[in-house]
Amino acid sequence: MQHTSWHWRLFKGICLALISLFFLFPILWVLLMSFQTNEDILRVPPSPFFTPTLDNYRALIAGELTGAGSTLKIAYMKNIWNSFVLSACSVLLSLLLGVPAAYAFARYRFRLGENIAFTLLSFRFAPPLLVLLPLLLYFQDLGLYDTYFGLIWVYQLITLPLILWIVRGYFEDVSPDIEHAYRIDGHSWLRSFLKIAVPLARPGIAAAALLAFIFAWNNFVFALILGSSDVQPVTVGALAFITASGIQYGQIAAGLVLSVIPTFVLALVMQRYLVEGLSLGAVKG
Amino acid sequence: MTTQDMTQAAALPARRRSGRMRALLPYLLSLPALVVTIGILIPFGTAVYYSLQRYNLAFPFTRGFIGLDNYAQFVTDPAFWNTVQISLLYTVVTVGVELALGLSMALLLQHRTPVNNLLSVLLILPLMTAPAIAALMWKLMTNPNFGVFSYLVGLAGFTEFRWASSPSTALFTVVLVDVWVYTPFMMILLLAGLRSLPRQPFEAAELDGVPASFVFFRITLPMLTPYIITASLFRMLDAIQQFDIIYAMTQGGPGDRLMVFQVQAYLEAFTFTNIGRSAAFLMVLWAITFILSNLFIKQWLKLRERTHRAA
Amino acid sequence: MYEKAKDLAAAYVSRRISRRAFIDRMTKLGIAAAAANLMVNRLSSQALAAGHDWQKHKGRTVKLLLNKHPYTDAMIANLDNFKAMTGMDVKYDVFPEDVYFDKVTATLSSRASQYDAFMTGAYQTWQYGPAGWLVDMNEYLTQAAPNYNWNDVLPNLRRSTAWSGVPGAALGGDGAKQWALPWGFELNSVSYNKRIFDKLGMAPPENLPDMKEKAAHIAREADGMYGIGVRGSRSWATIHPGYLSGFTNYGARDFEMADGKLNAAMNSPAGKEFTGLWVEMIKQSGPRNWSTYTWYEVGNDLGAGASGMIFDADILGYFMNGNTKEAGNIAYAAFAAKPGASEPTPNVWIWSLAMNAFSEQKEAAWYWMQWATGTEHGMFGARQMDFVNPVRQSVWDDEGFRDRIAKTYPGYLEQYEASAPGSKIYFTPQPLFFNLTTEWAASLQKMVADEVPVDEGLDQLAESVNRQLASVGLR
Repeated sequence: MQHTSWHWRLFKGICLALISLFFLFPILWVLLMSFQTNEDILRVPPSPFFTPTLDNYRALIAGELTGAGSTLKIAYMKNIWNSFVLSACSVLLSLLLGVPAAYAFARYRFRLGENIAFTLLSFRFAPPLLVLLPLLLYFQDLGLYDTYFGLIWVYQLITLPLILWIVRGYFEDVSPDIEHAYRIDGHSWLRSFLKIAVPLARPGIAAAALLAFIFAWNNFVFALILGSSDVQPVTVGALAFITASGIQYGQIAAGLVLSVIPTFVLALVMQRYLVEGLSLGAVKG
Repeated sequence: MTTQDMTQAAALPARRRSGRMRALLPYLLSLPALVVTIGILIPFGTAVYYSLQRYNLAFPFTRGFIGLDNYAQFVTDPAFWNTVQISLLYTVVTVGVELALGLSMALLLQHRTPVNNLLSVLLILPLMTAPAIAALMWKLMTNPNFGVFSYLVGLAGFTEFRWASSPSTALFTVVLVDVWVYTPFMMILLLAGLRSLPRQPFEAAELDGVPASFVFFRITLPMLTPYIITASLFRMLDAIQQFDIIYAMTQGGPGDRLMVFQVQAYLEAFTFTNIGRSAAFLMVLWAITFILSNLFIKQWLKLRERTHRAA
Repeated sequence: MYEKAKDLAAAYVSRRISRRAFIDRMTKLGIAAAAANLMVNRLSSQALAAGHDWQKHKGRTVKLLLNKHPYTDAMIANLDNFKAMTGMDVKYDVFPEDVYFDKVTATLSSRASQYDAFMTGAYQTWQYGPAGWLVDMNEYLTQAAPNYNWNDVLPNLRRSTAWSGVPGAALGGDGAKQWALPWGFELNSVSYNKRIFDKLGMAPPENLPDMKEKAAHIAREADGMYGIGVRGSRSWATIHPGYLSGFTNYGARDFEMADGKLNAAMNSPAGKEFTGLWVEMIKQSGPRNWSTYTWYEVGNDLGAGASGMIFDADILGYFMNGNTKEAGNIAYAAFAAKPGASEPTPNVWIWSLAMNAFSEQKEAAWYWMQWATGTEHGMFGARQMDFVNPVRQSVWDDEGFRDRIAKTYPGYLEQYEASAPGSKIYFTPQPLFFNLTTEWAASLQKMVADEVPVDEGLDQLAESVNRQLASVGLR
C-alpha cells in the first residue's frame, strides 16, 4: 500500500488536518482560557488576544480562590491525587484479575466459560444509577462509604470488563505456538504465561489499561454519591468552581488542563505500546 | 488452525500433570474476577425489588409491592416511548458517526511514522477530558454571547444558530460533543487492531496489484471486524446510557427533546424521589442493553471463529 | 488604651453606640477597622454565651453537609468563635451547588447518621419532612439560649419553612412543624444595568408590559445586548424565581383547594395572561440560549454586560456588582408585574439549616444550628462577608450592615424594603413540588419554541399535574 500518488497523499493530509482541527481546537481554546481572567473569557465577541495570567493555576495549586467578594478554600490538588489513587489502583486490580481471566477465555473452552465471560461483561451494562442507591445502603452498613477501598471496588464495574474484553481479543490473536514450544522445553504453565503470553499481548494490555484508566478517571456519579469530600476525584472537584456567585470559567479551564496532564503523560509514556504494537505484527507476519 | 486445535495445542503439556488440574485451571484464572464483581449482583437484586414497588421516598406510608404496575404504566405513557425513541436514536447516530470517523482516522494514521504516532496520542486528548466537565466547556463555547463556536458559526452567516437551546439543533449539539469526546476511543482501538493485522495478505495483494478498494473491503474490513464489534459494543453500552453530556448541557430539554433513559431515571430518583419508577425505568434500559449486547457478542464470537479459520 | 477599646466594643455590641461612631472612635484610638471587628466578634460571642450552658457538649464533634456558597464561607470564617465558646469541634463536607441536593437526597435516603445537620431549601423539606428525615425544630426552639430571639427572624421566613405535612395546608399554619431554620434568603426583583438604562434614558420597568417593552428597546438599541435575563433550563429552578413572582402578582395560583383536595390551577385566565406575556417577552428579547439558561447564565450575562436587566434573585444582582465587567453599574428595583398591583409579591428562596433525623447527637447539632442562625453570626456575616440577605430584622436594622450595603450597592436597601413585606413562598406545599415545577419548565420551553400555544400548554400541564396528584392519592 505504499504506491500512493501525490494527490492521494495531499487528500489524506487535508483530512488529517481537518480532523486534528476538530479534535484539538477545543482543547487549545480551553488551554487559552486557563490563562485568562473570568472577565476576559466573558467577552463579546470572544477573542484569542488577552493578557495572560497565571492566577487560575496559582489559585488551584495554592488551594485558595478569590471569587466575587469572598475567598473559597478548595482542595483541587487533593482531588487530583484522589483521582490518581482511585484510577491507578482500580486499573491495577483489574489487570490482576482480568488478564488471567482473559487468558482463560482466549485459550480454553470450558463449561460455563462463555457464561462467566458474558456475566463479567454484563456488569458494564447495568446502568450505574440502577445500583447506586442500593449500593449506598450496603456501603453504609459495611463501612465502605467514603473509603478508597469501596470506590476502587465499585470502579471494577468500569475497568474490569474493558480490560477483560480487549485483552481477550489480543490473546486470541497471539498464536499459542510459541507458548507451546516454550512449555515443551519443560517450563511450567505459570512461567510460560508470564514470560511468553503476557509480553506478547503487552500492546493490548497497555492499550486496555490506559483506556480503563481514562474511564475510571472520568467517572463522576459513583464518587459523588459513595464518597465525601475526602475521596472526591477531580470530576466532582471541578464543579466547585460553579459557585452561587458565578461560574469561574478560568479556574474550570485550568482545572481541566491540570486534570488532563497525568493521563496525557501516561499516554505519552505508553505511546510505544499503544501505537506501535510492533511485537504482535512481527510474530504473526 | 481452528480455535479448537489451538486450545488443544496449548493444553498439551498440561496433560503430563493431573487431568483435574488442567480442567480446573481456566476456572482458577477466571473466578477471582467474577468473585470480586459478584457483590454488585446484590444491589442489582435490590434494585429489581424496588422496581416492583410503589416506592416514593416522600410518601413512606404508601410503599408497597405492586408487581409489574410500574412497568405497565410505561406502556401507555407517551413520555416513556419518547425516551425509548430518543435513546435509541442517540445511540445509533453517535455510534454510527464515531465508527465511520474513528475508522477513517485509524486508516489515516495506520502507518508508523513519528508524525502519525504523535498525532494518535494528541487525538485521544478529548477522551481524557471528563465528559461532565467537557460538556460545561462546550456549553460555554456554544454560548451565543461569549462562545467561540457561536462566533465562528455567526461569521459563516448562521447568526441564529442556537445549538443545544433549540429543539431542532439540540440533538445535533449533544451528538457533536459525544463524537468529540468518544471518537478517539474508537480510533485507538481500531488503530491497535489495524496495526496488529498480519502483513502477508496485504503484501500478496500489493504484489498482485489488487486495487485499494478491493483490499479494503475484502481484506482489511473483514479482518478488522472483531475489533470494530468490540469498540462499537463498548461505545453502544455507553451511548445508550449517556448521562453526563446531556444532563450538563440541556438537562433533557428543550421540552422533552433529549429525555434519554438515564436523565429521566436520574430525575425520578434524585429530584422526584420516586425510587420505584426510577428503578423500573432503568430495568427497561438494562433489558435493552442486554439484548443488544447479546447480539453483538454472538456476532463477535462467530467472527472470531471465522477469522481464525481464515488465518 | 486596650480597656478603652474594649469598653467601646462592648458598647457597640450592646448597641449603645452606632457603628459609625464606633469605628470613628476606634480609629482615634489607633485601632484599624479589621482589629476592631475582631474584637467585636469575640465580645459578641461572650455576650451570646451569657445565661446558657454552651459548654454542655464540650469535646463532641458535629458533622455538617454543606453547599458551596458564600453563606458557607461566612460560617467557616467565623467557626473558631463557635469552637472556642462551646469546646466542640465541627467537621464539614462541602459539595458543589450543582449536585448538592442529589448528594443530600442520596445520603438521607440511606438513613445514615454521619451528618448531624445540613443546608436545605424550603421546597426540599416538603419531600424530606414527610419522608421522615428531618427533626421538627419546634422542640428545640423552646430550649434556645435566652438571647437567641427566634421572633427576630422575619415572620414570613419562619412561616415559609414550617409546614404541617398536609398537602395544600398553609405554610406555617395549624400544626406546622418547623422543618428548618431560615439561614439566608433571596427574593426576586429586578437588577439592571444602570449604564445602559441611563444611556437609553429609561427608568427601571414598572410592570410586565413595561418590562417587555423596555427589554425590546434594549435589544433594538443597545448594540449586541439583549433585553432581559430570566431562567429557562428544564428544571424546577426555572419556575420559582421571576416567573412565579410575576405569576402570583397577576393573581394566579399553582393550586386551588376544593373539598380538601388539590386542584391544578395554573391554567386560570390570570395564569394564561401572565404566561402569554412572559413567553412573548422571552421570544422577543430574551437570551438566545434561554432553554439552557440557569442561575449562572442569568448572572454571568448581567455581569458581563450581555443583558440589560434580569428578573431573578436580588442577591444574584448583588453578586454581579463585584469582580465583573459591569461592577458598579448594577442597580436594583422592586418589581410588581401586574399593572396597578398594590405591591410586589416576590417568591423567595430560603437557604435553611435542618437537622438529620438519624443524627446520634441531636442536641449538639442544635447547639451549632442555634449559633449559626443566631444574631451574632448573622451580624458578622452581614457586616464582613456576603451573608446576605440576612433573615433577622435586627441585622437589617444594623447600621454597620446598612452603611456597607448603601455604599457598595446603591439602591439595594430601597429595593429590599419595597419588596420585603410581600416576600414569601407562594407555592402550595405538597410533596410533588419537583415533579410539577420540572414539568412546568419543560412546558414553558415548548411554548417558547412554538411547539405548543401558551393556553394549550398550560391546560395540558394542569391535566398532567392532576393525573399525577391522583396517582398518589392527593386528588
